[in-house]
Amino acid sequence: MGSRIRENVKHVFQCFCEVVRPQAGGQDAWIIQKYPDSYKDEEVLKSVPKFAYPCEFENNSVQLYSFVLTSVDSKWTFGFCRHDPKTETALVVLSYLPWHDTFYRLLDLIAELTLNVSNKAEDLWQLLEAVYSSPVPDRGSLPVVYNGHETFVCSCPSQFELPSIPDDRNLTEYYKSVDVSNMMIIFASMLHERRVIFVSQKFTRLSSCVQAANALLYPMHWQHIFIPVLPRVLSDYLLAPMPFLIGVPQSVFQRVRRNDLGDVVIFDVDNNTIESPFDDVQSLPPEVVTHLKRQLRSRSGLLGDGVSRTFLRALVILIGGYRDALRFQLGHKITFDQEAFVESRPSSMQPFMRKMLQLQIFQQFIEERLDILNSGLGFSDEFEMEAFNYCGKSSSRLKQQYKEWTHTMRKEGSAFFKTVKNKANPAMKSAVKTVKERGKEVRTAYKGIRSKFRDSQPSNDDFISHVSAGRNETPSSPTHIEPLPPHFPTSGVNEKPSPSHKVSQSAFSESLLEPSPLELDLMGDLQDLLGLPTSTTPQFPQNVPPAVDRSLKPKTSLTPLLSPPPPPGSRGRGSRSVGSSPCRIVPKPEQTDLIELDSTPSDEEEEEVEFDPLAAKDRRTIPPPELAGGFANPLYPYFTSSQGGSDNAKASSSNLDADFLLREYGLDFSKLSVYNGSSQNSSPASTSPQRIVQSQGPQISISKDPFQEILPARVQMCSQSDVPPPRQSSPANWTQFH
Amino acid sequence: MAREYDHLFKLLIIGDSGVGKSSLLLRFADNTFSGSYITTIGVDFKIRTVEIDGERVKLQIWDTAGQERFRTITSTYYRGTHGVIIVYDVTSGDSFANVKRWLHEIEQNCDVVNKILVGNKNDAPDRKVVLTEDAQRFASQMNVQLFETSAKDNINVEEMFMAITRQVLRTKKERKERQAIHSNETVNLRKSNKQSKKKCC
Repeated sequence: MGSRIRENVKHVFQCFCEVVRPQAGGQDAWIIQKYPDSYKDEEVLKSVPKFAYPCEFENNSVQLYSFVLTSVDSKWTFGFCRHDPKTETALVVLSYLPWHDTFYRLLDLIAELTLNVSNKAEDLWQLLEAVYSSPVPDRGSLPVVYNGHETFVCSCPSQFELPSIPDDRNLTEYYKSVDVSNMMIIFASMLHERRVIFVSQKFTRLSSCVQAANALLYPMHWQHIFIPVLPRVLSDYLLAPMPFLIGVPQSVFQRVRRNDLGDVVIFDVDNNTIESPFDDVQSLPPEVVTHLKRQLRSRSGLLGDGVSRTFLRALVILIGGYRDALRFQLGHKITFDQEAFVESRPSSMQPFMRKMLQLQIFQQFIEERLDILNSGLGFSDEFEMEAFNYCGKSSSRLKQQYKEWTHTMRKEGSAFFKTVKNKANPAMKSAVKTVKERGKEVRTAYKGIRSKFRDSQPSNDDFISHVSAGRNETPSSPTHIEPLPPHFPTSGVNEKPSPSHKVSQSAFSESLLEPSPLELDLMGDLQDLLGLPTSTTPQFPQNVPPAVDRSLKPKTSLTPLLSPPPPPGSRGRGSRSVGSSPCRIVPKPEQTDLIELDSTPSDEEEEEVEFDPLAAKDRRTIPPPELAGGFANPLYPYFTSSQGGSDNAKASSSNLDADFLLREYGLDFSKLSVYNGSSQNSSPASTSPQRIVQSQGPQISISKDPFQEILPARVQMCSQSDVPPPRQSSPANWTQFH
Repeated sequence: MAREYDHLFKLLIIGDSGVGKSSLLLRFADNTFSGSYITTIGVDFKIRTVEIDGERVKLQIWDTAGQERFRTITSTYYRGTHGVIIVYDVTSGDSFANVKRWLHEIEQNCDVVNKILVGNKNDAPDRKVVLTEDAQRFASQMNVQLFETSAKDNINVEEMFMAITRQVLRTKKERKERQAIHSNETVNLRKSNKQSKKKCC
């Protein structure tokens, strides 16, 4: 995995230390007290004083900074450090979590408790104990009560937010200190994996800028030596011949012999000057440079996540097309075709893309994505969304293409819709998640469908031969995996349906295509309702009925949906009610013989099937409730069970509308007791219960967590098919911004 | 002021954690007391000055943490180095598999000419799983020297380090000679020669 942040972190922090400053007689800094006493990592404890007092410095104002320790497994431990001119000691909190804001606040609070004479010593230990023993929030904020009535709030940065100005201290400091053109040079240097040195007198500035520069590489992560604040005793490490990103205090750097350093990029942050023997910006593809220059020109547009997004977009231009180079064959893992990746880019970009293949940061990015795909987990993140938006904007051809494909698929009738069964769920999942998170991203919803059309092409031949060879076999991993990844099409590649595809349409669509018309239309509707520009919206034929049939028979809860499927022949009823959303929570057949069911010929009229995919006449064709897995998918923080803090969500106005709309469609997340990542539990949307009742009836009145019931089903399903069960991973498994 | 050495070479030592890279370095290094930082900043190096044919060669040997997480170690990692010491554990087939992949990768993408293959922990014959013949066959195929060492029993360690040092020194001299010759050649010849070479780092 690419990220160097630890997963499955048990404690908010690992250790608190108070470090006495070095003494005049030549005595080094030392730790006079720590919490908890049980912390015994001697190597780390030996290093902490060196990093808390990296060199002589003027201690004339309160200074907060972070240092980073790297363990043998290359994972990072963050040391958050506070210097105060009023004291002879530094306060240090060690944590596996890069939550700068939380830990700087904690340090301020600790300082308050230690400095204020009216406080008893116990207060500090009570605070530390409370925070240490508190569960680690996996998103949102978690208030920790200490000392009976006081509260400290641990805030976990959202995985779906880019660092923004002024909320993110590191990026804000970077932006304040550094000219945007220098940001570009550093970005370019890091995209060449240079040896990069940041120099500043201030530890705060040093650590912030180094951290921010790394954050701007997202979705990639620096894989090499990473030392945001280098203590004097370690200055020889600047001689390392490998790529590095090191922050060097000015006084330490002054004593380094420049000649010994070799080819190194030196960024004097205080003076905003860069010395580099390379011209790395020049060797970036021109479209990337143009984009960066244009976007970074307007300073006003850079507040909020403007800076992060600008660099993210640059990376989308560079590597967003990685999906075009993913290859899979039945029975094999998904792989990445480097040559195809390079060749899928415009010729102006190819020279750099070739170099990119030789970057560790890129290799690890690909490894990370393949890892997730091959483990059968779906994912989406800010990068994938941005990539989708980008290709949506950059290609109007896609729209037309999509239309054609949809049309063709319609003609295929039920054969096509049979495939909806096991494939549609991830798309749904993605759609739901996306819409819920941010209404404006609705377009993401159909991205999957489009690229599923495309993705299935390369494997077409493979698949057909497989089908004809043995229909009774359960489809193996590729079919299983395919629906799960986030899908975003890239412009201009593989868009044309090949003639061979037409010929083999039905076999092909039976098993490889997954788009659900239900989702298409749901999302289309949403998009209209949200007033989104429809430039990238698929054009549906006029005769398409509404996405959701509101004349559905009300359901009292989801429970019936989880009961065994009705017998064949009862189609069109139960599933209709399902058709509006949790709808995809489908009965799980005891035995899943997907191929057999798939191959059942069908002449069903298309609309019936189309809007009732789950009611397809052969109820047995309903796939295992992959949705269940989807909702339980730990990669989606929204759907993981919260650790007792599901009420700490922060309602962002952007998703309120979406929430409301979803509720209109029967997707009421708050009712499903799903953690929705906001800090107040009462969202304005929930103040309109009337609407909800009108539109959905009792279906929304689910009082317990339906996913708990679904989860075992999912596990069972997995044990039946020959695919590996999804890994139970924590949200930390996720691509992180930090 | 006269320098205390005639040549400074930076070498990398690569291999899974646990194959004994640190032990090999400790055996070899001048100053064993100068603590290790691999567990705190993820990188470490050791220094030693050796004399070869009357020339003083200062060696810095660098190690980084967690290399086993890389399926591929890309060429940027080797960019600034003169030679690579590739270590596996003769009692671990997995460590040998990683090394094979990395060595292929270096061969394909890198211009680092100086490499040496080292099978460490060669001190417990009953636990040995990577046979000398297999390793030797692979080494010959990749055109690298193989050393089987034991850092624990101090077997072959000195010889191995001296071998890679000689190799690096020889390459440096050959390169110098080539450059001297090239400077007498026509511009065209030099260009074509450059192009034919795969540029790595």
